[in-house]
Amino acid sequence: MTGIKSTILKLSFVVVAMYGFSYALVPIYDTFCEITGLNGKTNQVAYTGNDIKKDNRFVTVKFISNVANSAPLYFEPTVTEMTVQIGKPYNTHYVMKNNSSKKLHTTASPSVTPGKYAEYLKKIECFCFNQQTIDAGEVKDLGIQFVIDNELPQDSGDIVLSYTMFDISDNIKETNKL
Amino acid sequence: MSANIDHLKEEHHQPSGLMRWITTTNHKDIGSLYLWFSLLMFFVGGLMALVIRAELFQPGLQLVVPGFFNQMTTMHALVMIFGALMPAFVGLANWQLPMMIGAPDMALPRLNNWSFWILPFAFTMLISTLFFESGGPAAGWTLYPPLSLQGGNSMPFVIFSIHLLGASSILGAINVIATILNMRAPGMTLMKMPIFVWTWLITAFLLIAAMPVLAGAITMLLTDRFFGTSFFTAAGGGDPVLFQHIFWFFGHPEVYILILPAFGIISTIIPAFSRKKLFGYDSMVYATASIALLSFIVWAHHMFTVGMPLAGEIFFMFTTMLIAVPTGVKVFNWVATMWKGSMTFETPMLFALAFIILFTIGGFSGLMLAITPADFQYHDTYFVVAHFHYVLVPGAIFAVIAAVYYWLPKWTGKMYNETLGKIHFWMTTIFVNITFFPMHFVGLAGMPRRIPDYAVQFTDFNMIASVGAFGFGLSQLLFVYILFSTLRQPVTVADKAWDGAEGLEWTLPSPAPYHSFDTPPKID
Repeated sequence: MTGIKSTILKLSFVVVAMYGFSYALVPIYDTFCEITGLNGKTNQVAYTGNDIKKDNRFVTVKFISNVANSAPLYFEPTVTEMTVQIGKPYNTHYVMKNNSSKKLHTTASPSVTPGKYAEYLKKIECFCFNQQTIDAGEVKDLGIQFVIDNELPQDSGDIVLSYTMFDISDNIKETNKL
Repeated sequence: MSANIDHLKEEHHQPSGLMRWITTTNHKDIGSLYLWFSLLMFFVGGLMALVIRAELFQPGLQLVVPGFFNQMTTMHALVMIFGALMPAFVGLANWQLPMMIGAPDMALPRLNNWSFWILPFAFTMLISTLFFESGGPAAGWTLYPPLSLQGGNSMPFVIFSIHLLGASSILGAINVIATILNMRAPGMTLMKMPIFVWTWLITAFLLIAAMPVLAGAITMLLTDRFFGTSFFTAAGGGDPVLFQHIFWFFGHPEVYILILPAFGIISTIIPAFSRKKLFGYDSMVYATASIALLSFIVWAHHMFTVGMPLAGEIFFMFTTMLIAVPTGVKVFNWVATMWKGSMTFETPMLFALAFIILFTIGGFSGLMLAITPADFQYHDTYFVVAHFHYVLVPGAIFAVIAAVYYWLPKWTGKMYNETLGKIHFWMTTIFVNITFFPMHFVGLAGMPRRIPDYAVQFTDFNMIASVGAFGFGLSQLLFVYILFSTLRQPVTVADKAWDGAEGLEWTLPSPAPYHSFDTPPKID
């Protein structure tokens, strides 16, 4: 019987370990994507360094927007395309309007295409670092300041910066209740 | 000693009627429960498939609304995988493993009872969601977010029932491993074990490694929906693609969980009716183990189109193709076993032969799907549906049917009607091909899966497939008739029901006594 008991003990350990492994896959995946620059996930922290040098190259940055789950929001870039000099900071903004009759909480999720250039688009300031609160019918300007890293490979084509705006009012209310 | 045990048996009060089955800890009783339950679920899942095929008989919407159609595709898969196939294999393991290794019972008889009795409750809960106002799960059995997070109230019920099914499988797997590793008859070394025992040992390890990962993935779905986490919700910085990775990290080993015991069954039946030893026993064991190991590093071939980097696509393409090598070893070993054997073609052998041919067709379409650039064309089309039904229906299900015909005389002491068995075989095999072969063509022509309506040029092949599906369903009623008519017959079968059969179970009387191998047999 001792043999059976030790088998069960070892196997139960494997079960628990594999359950833990499924959760460990989450940070592993994030790290993997960060290292390889997959998924177009951009840094969610502001760039504060000053090591980017100006360069005589120019690159086209395109701006697109999405609203998730048909939320009652108007959300569009004011400028859809900019030709920018590498290493020079630029400002642009998006416009968001609350088309509902309620105050909404929103958050934007950024993404860069092609994903491998995500790391070269440095955001100095971005509305995506914070959540927004927008009153019924209110129109808001959402600003971005960004700079393109001079490490950007020579053969890069256009870079597309996309934001998806989510209405997270329900989650906020639930958290407040708790 | 044996007189002593006989005495004990008489003393042992066993409840009769329903309580016997609820409280039983006997591996043969529990094996029967699993097999009957699996047969029931096979018909429940089959009815759902017939709803799908009836709707797809013609283009346009005829019988059901699209929402219900999606619930049918989702539930058909969940019921067939977790309700029909997995319990069937666990049932066969319960009946056969102790008899094959000369053990008196499974290592953990009470746990065994519990593993089974979780199932009816889990499936009651799962199927009850179909009667909810918001309907059952409709996002596909893979439960991909964000769609699965947007479903109705069925979602937490589905997740909880999958948790229960997973718990049942894990407990069953622990029991199988504990039995095989600790309770073999003296002298039966690992490399002397029957091949079915080997394939189940490896399957059980796959279950233990893969099921907890599924449990983790669906728990994350649950917390995303109800507790404000953001594993897969992009609004909170999560990533829906991550779910696909975790799911298929479980999902690919899962498909081998569904096929490795089938390999074991075929490797048992082919030698018995070829009257030769299994060719390349050692290579069979190593091939099974390498398929199991490879199954953990190929998962992303299910999701070539999510936007992986080229290096990833190539890695998963080549590792997937690599699996064809050990699988090929198995197929060639089966063929070599039959080479110059004195073969006879009883029903179990017919199903085993059909398995080899039709499973190999499914394997080849799998190789086609493994080719990344081609997969971009085939992904989420009926070609994929054709592929996995070829490996699961004339693959796994044929193996289960073959096993039932092969061991039924041992379990009951009664012989089924060979003529009816052969009719069942031919009807099943012809209809299975009529059902699934045309799906290759519509898939290559671009018909998407999980869609209740389709473009008119696909009509002819879909009609053929629907006719085949109803024929296949009716043929299985013949199977049920054969089972019941066999049970009504008198006991006539010799200990060794098939003259080429090898193994300890055939040294026991037929029907196998309620308690067998109270003293372990000696193995040379």
